[in-house]
Amino acid sequence: MKLAAGIALAFRSIARRRLRTLLMMLGVTVGIGSLTLLNAVGEASKKESMKRFKNMIGTFDTIILRPGAGRTRGMVSLTNVPGTLKFEDAQAIATNLPGVKQIANLQNAFDIDIKYRDHADSTAVFGVSPNWFELRGDDASNGSLFSEQQDSDLARVAVLGADVESRLFPGENAIGKTIRIGDVPFQVQGILKSRGAGPGGGSLDDLILIPIGTAAKRLFNRDYLTMMIVQLKDADAADANVLAITNLLRERHHLTATQLDDFTITNPRAIAAQVTKMNSTLAKTLKGVAILAMFLGGVVIMALMLIGVSERRKEIGVRRGVGASRGDVLWQFATEATLISCAGGFLGVALALVGLGAAARLASLPLQLNWDVLGISIALSIATGLIFGIYPAWKAAHIDPIAALRA
Amino acid sequence: MIEMSRISKTYTRGGGSVVHALREISFTVEDREFVAVRGASGSGKSTLLNILGCLDVPNSGAYLLANEDVSRHSDRNLSRVRAERIGFIFQSFNLLPGTTARENVELPMVYARGRVHRKKALELLERVGLQDRANHFANELSGGQQQRVAIARALVNDPPLILADEPTGNLDSTSSGEVMDILTQLHKEGRTIVLVTHDNAVASYAHREVTLHDGILLSDVRITPNEIAPANCEAAS
Repeated sequence: MKLAAGIALAFRSIARRRLRTLLMMLGVTVGIGSLTLLNAVGEASKKESMKRFKNMIGTFDTIILRPGAGRTRGMVSLTNVPGTLKFEDAQAIATNLPGVKQIANLQNAFDIDIKYRDHADSTAVFGVSPNWFELRGDDASNGSLFSEQQDSDLARVAVLGADVESRLFPGENAIGKTIRIGDVPFQVQGILKSRGAGPGGGSLDDLILIPIGTAAKRLFNRDYLTMMIVQLKDADAADANVLAITNLLRERHHLTATQLDDFTITNPRAIAAQVTKMNSTLAKTLKGVAILAMFLGGVVIMALMLIGVSERRKEIGVRRGVGASRGDVLWQFATEATLISCAGGFLGVALALVGLGAAARLASLPLQLNWDVLGISIALSIATGLIFGIYPAWKAAHIDPIAALRA
Repeated sequence: MIEMSRISKTYTRGGGSVVHALREISFTVEDREFVAVRGASGSGKSTLLNILGCLDVPNSGAYLLANEDVSRHSDRNLSRVRAERIGFIFQSFNLLPGTTARENVELPMVYARGRVHRKKALELLERVGLQDRANHFANELSGGQQQRVAIARALVNDPPLILADEPTGNLDSTSSGEVMDILTQLHKEGRTIVLVTHDNAVASYAHREVTLHDGILLSDVRITPNEIAPANCEAAS
């Protein structure tokens, strides 16, 4: 039998049994629809978490040093890190290691009392080196950021995060005003452009930034750093640089071979890779759910096809009588199952697209259809139709035409 | 046309008992013969027709159809023979439900070589006097009309051999007459016809009568001379 004739035949037969066809499509529609939907959502949330991750650490060509062995839980601050990472360590890394482009230093503390006139509040205070802004990709939305000169002059100037500005200066221009951080007066010099949410979903705008020299000498009186961001000349040489920094710091800290590092180095790229991997595990699970739905859809197809075959014994007998071979009958029924399954798949994709459109509008998520998913959907639909249609088709092909014609 | 030698066919019943439907039957049909096969039910005549029609294969013996041994053919090849060289007419018409008369006639073309020619189907419907019923569904036609559609279907691939299994068994006498007239005409055109029937009147259209009993050939009688004998057929056409 000819391919086109077979497909036309299947179409006609499908058109004659609309309700049953719809039922057969349903499972595949649900399976493919959820696969498409879940995948698009998973893809979007992966993008979103990468974006948030980048919000927190700024660039990807950096590695992060923190004092103390092992991982510090949560964000570092002067109260929860040991004083093992000194300003001189940063200096030594910058001058001795040729792979390092620049280093930004941080000395920070949380819940510091701040005051403007009679507005009392508290926030995080970040003493940072001026290149911190550049490394983080931060900019001022109003006023200016502080300079190297101001840092070495120990100038008492402050850059406010957007949240602090709105709390301390509601409806008022903050630039040029004097606020108190602890007991020390600072002049507001700039407002930081809003950075949005961090990976935990919390705001990244609830802070005040001051020059790190000022922070160390005039506010906190500590000689150690809470974090060091090392920007590399070559982002791909992260591993070699991590090793070089480790060796240098161990030497400077006089650590013997048996002692553990008294600092921790994190490579954001490695973390980002982990985030992506975590998401792909999620995606795999979701795919598993969709495949389960497809399996159920396939079982429905098989059951209804089997019923159809026994109802259509006479038709099968007539076709065999006028010259259809077993192969022709097998092909006819397999084609029918596959076409129905494909139709179900397309309906699923269409419904998912509608759902995505609505979700994109409601949740303002940047949703997009992955073309891979479309390909996988079609392949899965065809496979489901063939796998679950082949047994009924085989049954149909092996109906005895003589008995079927006599009935 | 047909040469059967020592054809046997046995079936195993549900209980395990073996039924000998045909016992070493040898049987020859010349080109352009019109043969009636008679016999009580269970005599093996339906089995004979099924083997003749390549719907069934014998357990032993050889079946030569136009000098080609089809008794050992594969399913695919047997199907090809059914599609292109044999036209089947059944007692219960066996039109596809929910399908128009024209589509029923076109059906064998789907399974034969070459394209599906709608025109040919319409021509054949006209030939059996049903040109105005082409788009009617099978269940909208009377029994006689359905059988005529079935005849058109049997002819659509222009097979030399027509096999009819009680073609008038479900018809009234008028419709029976129409159907037998068409068969007679087909015979006159030079087709070979093998007809299974109980009915004396129907059998009388044939010029040769073969009677089966218990799976063996009881008698083989030439009733009337075959006017469409191979020799003078050329002259007639």
